Amino acid sequence: MIIRRWIKLTDTSVSLNGKKIETESCGHALLTHLYRERNDYPKFFKMDALSKLGFIATELLLHDESQRFQPRGDRAVIFIGKSGSLADDTNYQKTIADKDNYFPSPSVFVYTLPNIVTGEVAIRNKYYGETCFHVIDELRADKIADIISDAFQDADTTSVVGGWLECSDEEHFEAYLFIVEASADGQAPEWNKDTIREIINNN
Amino acid sequence: MDDLILELKKQIIEVLNLEDVKPEDIDDDAPLFGEGLGLDSIDALELIVLMEKNYGIKLKDPNQGKEIFKSVKVMADYIKNNRTK
Repeated sequence: MIIRRWIKLTDTSVSLNGKKIETESCGHALLTHLYRERNDYPKFFKMDALSKLGFIATELLLHDESQRFQPRGDRAVIFIGKSGSLADDTNYQKTIADKDNYFPSPSVFVYTLPNIVTGEVAIRNKYYGETCFHVIDELRADKIADIISDAFQDADTTSVVGGWLECSDEEHFEAYLFIVEASADGQAPEWNKDTIREIINNN
Repeated sequence: MDDLILELKKQIIEVLNLEDVKPEDIDDDAPLFGEGLGLDSIDALELIVLMEKNYGIKLKDPNQGKEIFKSVKVMADYIKNNRTK
């Protein structure tokens, strides 16, 4: 398995395949800035912070891929994070915390599951393969390597868009996402824990 | 009535996160669903919450929404005649 492309998007910086993308914004404003530069997908503004992060990171990762938006069932979307949907869970809790002002918000409620972001990405890109969000205790390259490698065990998956997607609140987040493919390519980095660790720490 | 329509448009934009829409972009008589603003079923639920929270109107039958949410003008008419706050 190889890594075709990768992106690192945190609340303070962005880089694609190791090349820094200059930006003056940070935190939530950074995601909105990146959206306005490249996208026209108004549903973005209805998403919770985790979905916005996953959406923008995958848009950058996939933007110049050929055959984009062609329906395909061989690509899985697999994210791994620590906080899951905790940021949106907290926002939803605020809408039901006061008994005298008890108005549960349906549009906030629908994002109170971490795997919603995998659906947002799959819908956007017309992917009909596996989608999954794993919650683990901490960022670990070996876990990311194992979880995404396992996805290739089925007969359908030839490619995965996935990796670490973590959003503790609207202003604090990090995404280390990859396009991983089953093909052999001597030029591309190999998909394993050491490469993942190196990309996260250095590129 | 015009004041209520404008107030309602501002509330709809805020609660439905219609980031790039301005009140003047919303036609008083344009359908809110299907075409027009292109709202979805979750937006309809959010409008039901808006009616209760801001105007004290509790819709017991969700099917009422199909009539009430036909347009901002129809919605404002309903609020004017049924509001409790």
